[in-house]
Amino acid sequence: MDDIIASSAGGHGRPGGHLADQLRWFDITETDRRQAEALAVTADELAEPIIEDFYAHLLSFEDARRHFRGEEQIARVKQGQLKYFRELVSASLDEDYVRNRRRIGQIHERAGVTPTLYVGAYAYYLHRLGHRVMAKMQDDPAHALPLLLSLIKIAHFDMSQALETYVEAREATIEQREREMSELPTPVLKLRDGLLLIPVVGTLDSYRARSLTVKLLEGIRDHRARAVVLDITGVAAVDSAVANHLIQTMTAARLMGASSVLTGLSAEVAQALVKIGVTGEALRTAGDLQHGIEMAERMLDG
Amino acid sequence: MAVRVPILRQGRTLIASIQEDLSDGDILELQSRVLEDVIRHRATGVIFDVSALDVLDSFGTRTLSDIAAAVQLRGARMVIVGIQPEVAFSMVLLGLTLADVPTALDLETGLAMLGRAA
Repeated sequence: MDDIIASSAGGHGRPGGHLADQLRWFDITETDRRQAEALAVTADELAEPIIEDFYAHLLSFEDARRHFRGEEQIARVKQGQLKYFRELVSASLDEDYVRNRRRIGQIHERAGVTPTLYVGAYAYYLHRLGHRVMAKMQDDPAHALPLLLSLIKIAHFDMSQALETYVEAREATIEQREREMSELPTPVLKLRDGLLLIPVVGTLDSYRARSLTVKLLEGIRDHRARAVVLDITGVAAVDSAVANHLIQTMTAARLMGASSVLTGLSAEVAQALVKIGVTGEALRTAGDLQHGIEMAERMLDG
Repeated sequence: MAVRVPILRQGRTLIASIQEDLSDGDILELQSRVLEDVIRHRATGVIFDVSALDVLDSFGTRTLSDIAAAVQLRGARMVIVGIQPEVAFSMVLLGLTLADVPTALDLETGLAMLGRAA
């Protein structure tokens, strides 16, 4: 159980890594597979009218209609749906199957099919399918119900695969953005002889904090600076490790003989600093950049 | 081999420029020599130039603090100059912050600092 939670919480990027566990979690047994296969015989016959109905339903939405360019594309997508349905009932549920489902999930994600649209479409299918199977097996409803229940289980497993891909895709996007943010350059600006300004904009993670340290300390040496204003107005929040790193950097700057002033602390950053035990006395800070620069100039002149 | 750091005198300022890594014994020897020189020349300022060092360990740092405190007792001031960026940061990581010793970027700044104070 823990494994499953762990794998759904953090085990992304490993399609089918714990396939057996996942199937067990969905309680999909051999019986379920056999029963789904029993439906496979009539799959095409069942699916075609449902797909027709579904597209009539889909195309009644203006937004959806705009996604399709002509009858030809609709026919192709319908064909794809039929194949999807055949695969669902043939229920091999192996690694290849999962990979394929995830690939389709990716295509949907990129095409802008939201989870709502996806789950809604699935519900539509299952509902129609239920009716049709019941109608077809009118004489034997006691037999039809378990068939459908098995299929519903497999369908849910199927949905979970697609939804995982959605989450993964979003996470990959977020990660990418974070990386871009932390790779923003940090310029070292010389305001006047002996006075440097380093504005930091964006996310300050530990990777970027390290490169900031190097830039600041080498900037002091290269520009022969005696005062540095570090402006972090553009940084929304820092964790305690980064806050600690900032303090260490400013202490190192002092060892090199330069005073530093930290300006533009946001409420969160101020709290993070207090949390690691930093007080105003140990650290020279100013409310905004203007006061910070004035303070630094006084230190240079004094 | 013991390293003997030369102590130069300019006016009433003494300048000790450490050019290579010192053993603990070398540092102690330097400590007593600097203090003797401060007294002999009635120096008002002492500058330790460590710009050639790649590392400053805890013993060295503590001894520099001690020297600074003793120099101050003689009514003179001491400045450490030329701590390099990577040395500075590794010192901070070791918790060696030299809180009570003034520091300056290089010899020139250090001399100016002592000149202003005099």
